[in-house]
Amino acid sequence: MYDNDQRPARRVVITGLGTVSSIGLGVTAFLDGLRSGRSGVKPITAFDTTGFAHANGCEVTGFDPAEWIHRVDATELGRATQFSVAAARMAVADAGLTPEELRARRALVSVGTTDAESRDLDALVDVELREGPERLPATVVRRAQAGRLSTGIVRELALTDVEALTLPTACAAGNYAIGSGFDAIRGGEVEVALCGGADAVCRKTFAGFYRLGTIAPEVCQPFDKDRKGILTGEGAGILLMESLETARARGARIYAEVLGYGLNCDAHHPVAPDQDSLARCMRIAHRNAGVKPQDIDFISAHGTGTRANDVTEAGAIRQVFDAPPPTVSIKSMIGHSMGAASALASAACALALTEGFIPPTVNHHETDPECGLDCVPNVARSTELNVVQNNALAFAGNNAVLILGRHREAQ
Amino acid sequence: MSPLVLSAWSAVSPYGVGAEPFARGITAGRCAVGPLDPATHPGPFDRGGVVPDFSARTHVGKKGTRTMDRVTALAVAAVGQLLESCDGGPVRQPEETALVLGTGSGSVQSIMDFTRDSFAGERPYHVDPARFPNAVMNRAAGQSAIWHRIKGPNTTVAGGWLTGLLALSYAARLHRGGHCARVLCGAAEEYSEQRAWLEWHGRSAAERATPLGEGGAVFLLEPAEAAREAGHPALARLLTTRFRAYGAESEVRAALAACVRDALKTTGVAPGDVRLVAPLGAGGESAALEEAGVGDALGAADPRWIRCRPLLGDTSAAATSLQLAAVLAAAGADGLAPGEAALVTGVERDGTVGCALLAGA
Repeated sequence: MYDNDQRPARRVVITGLGTVSSIGLGVTAFLDGLRSGRSGVKPITAFDTTGFAHANGCEVTGFDPAEWIHRVDATELGRATQFSVAAARMAVADAGLTPEELRARRALVSVGTTDAESRDLDALVDVELREGPERLPATVVRRAQAGRLSTGIVRELALTDVEALTLPTACAAGNYAIGSGFDAIRGGEVEVALCGGADAVCRKTFAGFYRLGTIAPEVCQPFDKDRKGILTGEGAGILLMESLETARARGARIYAEVLGYGLNCDAHHPVAPDQDSLARCMRIAHRNAGVKPQDIDFISAHGTGTRANDVTEAGAIRQVFDAPPPTVSIKSMIGHSMGAASALASAACALALTEGFIPPTVNHHETDPECGLDCVPNVARSTELNVVQNNALAFAGNNAVLILGRHREAQ
Repeated sequence: MSPLVLSAWSAVSPYGVGAEPFARGITAGRCAVGPLDPATHPGPFDRGGVVPDFSARTHVGKKGTRTMDRVTALAVAAVGQLLESCDGGPVRQPEETALVLGTGSGSVQSIMDFTRDSFAGERPYHVDPARFPNAVMNRAAGQSAIWHRIKGPNTTVAGGWLTGLLALSYAARLHRGGHCARVLCGAAEEYSEQRAWLEWHGRSAAERATPLGEGGAVFLLEPAEAAREAGHPALARLLTTRFRAYGAESEVRAALAACVRDALKTTGVAPGDVRLVAPLGAGGESAALEEAGVGDALGAADPRWIRCRPLLGDTSAAATSLQLAAVLAAAGADGLAPGEAALVTGVERDGTVGCALLAGA
């Protein structure tokens, strides 16, 4: 909803969180999981894993769409959209907004994703192989659309004055979506934004990473000298954002302030990250947020647990920070939830700021000297936090770095 | 802040590669949909609007295109055409230039082929690692950036038929947020057997007959002042984008009318100033409801309607970008005249509508 009106920039705060993750459904369970260093790893059940030597992942269990999705027929939604819609419902309830109050505000819904409904596309391939392309079920075809991740939320919440945006910028997409929501509220285009990311475990992505030799056989160990790769995961994180002004007017609980973000593209390699370019992205984010490296109290790293990612990311951090702050990866707990990853990590950062703790990097035995970072091994650390940084990287060198700050009421 | 203008554009379409064949075809109202050879285009459709003789090898290059899929090649070619038309200016400061590209669900052909290899191979991991990035939805935008060395923000947008409008809205917001000096913005869609089958099964019976089209369009969006300094013509000012959602199909008309009214009111454009309208024109009842909604908002105004779909087929994620290109094609080399406005509209079957309002610079 662009226009050229000149409006004073507004401050943007997070007042609601919705989280669907392998370590818990809803913000209370997610927070508890982060604090206690819970691991969501288990054998994958999403598809037949016969023929893979190992197939652990971080799937969401105990998810009943009927518990969260009331207006829309859940069978018309793919699994990733179900997660997205459920997380949006949670975020709205968590923010203490009634559906009527929400509908009265002009809104942006933006949801990032890597695979959207590729799980349904996998299933359709299976039908094609067995019965031919003439036999595809219409319901599955219709719901296997990337745009559904955001329009599903719009339909479920019966929003009308709304822009529904899906951003399939792969594994950094959650931060992209939150960034766009931040800009929309800051610029006064909308009065509320539901933003984040969603993905569901699928065969295609598992097979691809497995073929690249980047799937860990058992657990994900970011920054560990013996790290063996990623575990594919799933879930959704949706943040409800609004201006500080409207949050104050309704006496809302404020988790954190969104200070800014930065995006850039390596424009170099389809899958290998570029250290200098990532460092540049962090500097862009700092500038956009008006912070300095020494202001950052901890970094939530992309931290996939592959050899290449962690050493490149650590190198980029050392380029930007004279003394790098604690740098953790919640992927050690929830796996790599793809488009949901940086959205769930943003939710984790917001909770960390509110509750005063740094989530741990679990499964950690010995830090890789090549990474050389304090990754808050295995046990959460209580500490007062003011500014935190959330990194996200994606295929094609799409980097996105988000900066959140603790909100303090003025004296 | 200097208003944002569209100062260059390119198209790859069933009329051929480049803005010129597109402009000629659209202004002549020539239909580019033709019979499909079942040997090269198997699937449920016997007619379609495909980019003639297009391939990655012939239009992007022999080197580095072995595994490049069609939608990526269309995007790389469309971005290349645009850069060429402004002598590479936008990539002289590659870090300051963003690329925002809309696609459907990436290439469903690439994604489903990859899964097919996993199912059909001797081992489930017998997939081609070089093709894995094709099976991820940011491939077309990412590869376009790699190919043309565009190092600013690189974003992929998806939203069905509204994709092009959403990409425009996102791009303008990105610019206003201070994330780039200029944006290359557009959308691309490929014709593939897999997309054809998905469209066929996903459509209602009333829509089924519409042939599919493919192509892409890319625009240079920059502040008017920057365009002037670079010697780019300000073809149109982007005044606003607006979106709304509807429940039942019967609400489409009112939702789009509200959208357009809001756009006009916010920007102070009189309905009578709208001289060009490029609607999506989807199948079934949708096209009539869309035009009625625009008509309700414009009242007695009598704009010229540019209907792309009968000429190009259903270009899905590229549709609204190609409509925008059609508006610029109709406006000619000097762009929209001062005081003249144009409207691009769309109705998505998932329950959303949107419009972009442009005016002479």
